[in-house]
Amino acid sequence: MQDRKPLYLMTPALAWLTAFMVIPCLLILALAFFRRGLYGGIEYTFTLENLALVFDPLYAGIFLKSAWIAGLAALIAVIIGYAAAFAIAAAPSRQQPILLFFAVLPFWSNYLVRTYAWIVLLNREGLITGLARWLGYDAELPRLLYTEGAVVVGLVYNYLPFVILACYAPLSRLNPEIAEASRDLGASGWTTFRRVVLPMTAPGIATGFVFVFVLSIGNFVTPALLGGGQFQMIGNLVYAQFLTANDWPFGAALSMILIAIMMGLLTLQTFATERASGAKREGS
Amino acid sequence: MTQPLLSLRNVEKHFGTVRAVDGFSLDIQENEFFALLGASGSGKTTLLRMLAGFETLTGGEILLDGKDISQVPPNRRPVNLMFQSYALFPHMSIAQNIAYGLEMEKCSKSEIKRRVGEMLEIIQLSHLAGRKPDQLSGGQRQRVALGRALIKRPRLLLLDEPLGALDKKLRGDMQLELKRLQHEIGITFIIVTHDQEEALVMADRVAILKDGKLLQCATPRDIYEHPNSRYSADFIGVMNFLPATLRQGQVIAANGQPVAAQLPEGLSEGNDVVVAIRPERLQVAAYRGGGGPRGRVLATAYHGLDLQLHLQTNLSSEPITVRLTAQEAEQTALSEGDEVELGWNAKDTRVFAA
Repeated sequence: MQDRKPLYLMTPALAWLTAFMVIPCLLILALAFFRRGLYGGIEYTFTLENLALVFDPLYAGIFLKSAWIAGLAALIAVIIGYAAAFAIAAAPSRQQPILLFFAVLPFWSNYLVRTYAWIVLLNREGLITGLARWLGYDAELPRLLYTEGAVVVGLVYNYLPFVILACYAPLSRLNPEIAEASRDLGASGWTTFRRVVLPMTAPGIATGFVFVFVLSIGNFVTPALLGGGQFQMIGNLVYAQFLTANDWPFGAALSMILIAIMMGLLTLQTFATERASGAKREGS
Repeated sequence: MTQPLLSLRNVEKHFGTVRAVDGFSLDIQENEFFALLGASGSGKTTLLRMLAGFETLTGGEILLDGKDISQVPPNRRPVNLMFQSYALFPHMSIAQNIAYGLEMEKCSKSEIKRRVGEMLEIIQLSHLAGRKPDQLSGGQRQRVALGRALIKRPRLLLLDEPLGALDKKLRGDMQLELKRLQHEIGITFIIVTHDQEEALVMADRVAILKDGKLLQCATPRDIYEHPNSRYSADFIGVMNFLPATLRQGQVIAANGQPVAAQLPEGLSEGNDVVVAIRPERLQVAAYRGGGGPRGRVLATAYHGLDLQLHLQTNLSSEPITVRLTAQEAEQTALSEGDEVELGWNAKDTRVFAA
């Protein structure tokens, strides 16, 4: 009874989430089961057509493409972010907060501004091309902007701070004596990393990966700006259904599947982290 | 004399301007149970980490079986360290933790299985082999850490405050347990501790460290009976110190009375000294009007087998501790407020420069 008391402190947050998140989501979900009206309105007759259309090869393909881009971005972000977090956690403890501050600094600027910055960098006559010319590279350069690669780079760049933070937490908590114990028992530095450090910090990696993946798969700003007009991810498709094609029911159906994928992944990740830390609580 | 297992020759470790270990030399024989005893900051842990290979030497050398190992990385030394935090791998079971060191030696699967089984028997944790470290008690974790290091059959096992995390009762059991294991397995143990009782109970020889220097190295008994410095005398066991001066070949207490004391060498006329004497070497009796040292009982403390008296005496401003056996206590029947006279034999004292 005693420890249930503070629950009422959650009421404002719950009310807020219910009013502005849960109810709108439910409304959107409901839309998915209605027919599209002749002139873009909604005709309130029940149908499963919208959901079926999501699995049409054309749209399913965009889903797969989005998952591929998001997965690639998450993978690259995890590799770069883990290495950075490792370096920060290994730095003298007084420097660590400063290094973390710099790692997260880009995060405090506007998402759009940061993405536009990449346009300046990747443009046909942008900084990177200019640099190549200046270094004496005269041949035709491959196009950088408006490619799949540009989208991945943009996503990695934007979400890297998340990964650094997610990986830094378990790395900084790691008792250095544990790695030393592994060395003491005969393991090389690499074996120690592979068999002790990596498994012990895996929950952070999983958190970082799922975070980047979930944020990337539904992203529409980055693909729109860095992928160019012909490049579509789920986010762009949903955006188009609601705002240009005026097909709200189909947009709702797409959103529903997207949300289901995200929720599934987040649940999986929560369970994995719970299991990793579950043993600890049992022991104490 | 046979070659010592381990020889430290003039070992130095400087951190900036701090001399954590300062010209340390020591020989340790095969099968010894050796204790490095010192307060925090005495350099004992640094020394242990140098032996394990986690700290480089600023100077000197470490010889193991006659070979200099100071440049050998920790994973190539036939030396294992049992960490103060135990440093068990939390994501591995007890059996996996113990097997880890053998896997690193590329032992065959069947050999690993057999030796892990044997080790689990020795540390009496066979029934918990599949558990994770977090599911064990402190004492069990300590045994896993010990087993994980011992299974490597090191030439030298280093233990960093191995009993520090255990409660007092368990500590006593584990002290005897460690000593038994060491005799059974026949591996040289070096233990680092700040707990003098632990060092006395377990070790064959004790080295007392202060500010990175070796102060005294001897058997526990020798250190207790013949401390070579005021610091050693104070660090091991309870010791009374009486301020005094040397005058005309006599030791004169602060109240001007000459007191019984073994005259030290190397101290001369007029030197300020302290007379050190153990509580159990003091004799007390109810005051009968003698002119010798006397005092009043401030408090009595019952310790089961013995009784401790705290006396305010005419010899020093600090109270003096006297230890009586239960039998002696019964005979003298002293209680708080009683006036007493006290005496001791000169041979039971040590005199140090103040």
